[in-house]
Amino acid sequence: MVEQIVFYVFAAIAILSGVYVVASQNLVRSVFMFFVTLLSVAGLYVFALADFVALTQIVIYVGGVLVMLLFVFMLSSKDSLDNIVNLKKEALSANRIPATIITIALLVILIYAILLADFEQLDWIKSNKLLIEKAQTSNVHNIGVNIMGRFLLPFELISILLMMTLVGAAHLARKEPNND
Amino acid sequence: MDFYILYILTASLIFAFIAVFSLFGVYAERKISAFIQDRLGPMEVGKFGWMQTIADILKLIQKEFIVPTVADKVLFTLAPVIIFVAVYLGFAALPWAPGLTPVSMNLGVFYVFAIISVEALGILMAGWGSNNKYSLIGAVRSVAQIVSYEIPIGFAIIAAVMIAQTLDLQLIGLNQGILAQQEIRFFGFWDVKDIGGILAWNIFQAPHLIIAYIIYFIASLAECNRAPFDIPEAESELIGGFHTEYTGLRFAFIFLAEYAMMFLVAMFGVTLFLGAWNTPLPNIGSLKLADYTTGMFWGIFWVLIKSLLIVAAQMWIRWTLPRLRVDQLMSLCWKVLTPLAFACLVISGLWRLLLF
Repeated sequence: MVEQIVFYVFAAIAILSGVYVVASQNLVRSVFMFFVTLLSVAGLYVFALADFVALTQIVIYVGGVLVMLLFVFMLSSKDSLDNIVNLKKEALSANRIPATIITIALLVILIYAILLADFEQLDWIKSNKLLIEKAQTSNVHNIGVNIMGRFLLPFELISILLMMTLVGAAHLARKEPNND
Repeated sequence: MDFYILYILTASLIFAFIAVFSLFGVYAERKISAFIQDRLGPMEVGKFGWMQTIADILKLIQKEFIVPTVADKVLFTLAPVIIFVAVYLGFAALPWAPGLTPVSMNLGVFYVFAIISVEALGILMAGWGSNNKYSLIGAVRSVAQIVSYEIPIGFAIIAAVMIAQTLDLQLIGLNQGILAQQEIRFFGFWDVKDIGGILAWNIFQAPHLIIAYIIYFIASLAECNRAPFDIPEAESELIGGFHTEYTGLRFAFIFLAEYAMMFLVAMFGVTLFLGAWNTPLPNIGSLKLADYTTGMFWGIFWVLIKSLLIVAAQMWIRWTLPRLRVDQLMSLCWKVLTPLAFACLVISGLWRLLLF
């Protein structure tokens, strides 16, 4: 009972703060609000027995991505920020029509998929219900074995992608040698 | 219902400990700095000035909250809370004695590492919310430093975790003394499971962890924004860094977070490398020193003594070394600490593969 209440509180915080992130005109505040969204989603992960994913979310998104987003805001010129704030605000201006179409299409797909699924009968939910006991004891161990075994190829591909971005970033940050 | 009362009690105990530690930490810092600079330090309030910081906090509590007119009021008010709570939550997973952990979880190491990274966000919030160029520059410097030094710290921690083979801080502590559940070898060859003491600590189980610990210690100074890594609050150029605009109790909370962070990184390092709550005294023949000095109260005693010694070393370094320049800071991190920490990580892997 207590768990259900806490779950709904987390879900409500996640949704409301998410709405604020999108709707707010103050860009920096909406980035800070995004932090609240991420924390409450991390709380929901803990409820799904995925504590490792929850912590990874905090390390990567809060400690990395959010800080980088803020740096981008703080180091970019004030004019370009003002331009974003001063965009036309009518519901059907040219800036908003493509975004509206994409979001509505996504919403329709999501609702269709949710209506189509019969959650009690899905195979992976059935099998995971049996695994709950196991998941509580050796979550990290399972993740490690699976990454190094079943999902080795995607794991290596991601590491190559990260390596490429690292090399690219180092190249961009390099001092150009003086030619004169 | 009983365990809810227990939770609240534990949380208040940790808070009380942080508050008392910070009060006397500030006093110790002022006395140590005075000793190093050949001064007397606080002398007026109480015998040897020991009530000086209590008088300071009474003054801070009475002060008015001043919010600058152009500041972002919400962010400005929330920032000290977020900075403090991030550090405070980190204490939840640290073990104090055999079987005595506020919240025991099998991801303890990762949890502490994750929750500390939230502090950077609070600092940025304070810097941006103050709407003051010194605060903002201080915050940006501080966060740039914290983010870069998280890399060597992460590698050093993983090197220790690979030797310990678990992320549970209580188990890591358990496997560094006479209560160990697996076999422990001094330098990888001499079985010291029954001897324990200083010989069973992680840094002596695998000697390359001594280097890893030194890397961890240096990088943890940078995480706390303390000298020689204190360009974020360089008084001579930035007034006070990201907390320039804060007054009264809000300033006290930022200060509390700084001292709590010092103790947190010290205790985390002690748990991972320096034998957690285990005694440094080994069993010698029939003289069972390690058996005598292991237990609930001894555990708390050893953790406190070791962590306070590390904190004292942090203070000693702060008042001895000059401040590093930004480029020196970054080259130390990326050209010295990161490759060394990475080498430790590789040695840890080979150690586990070849010796066990």
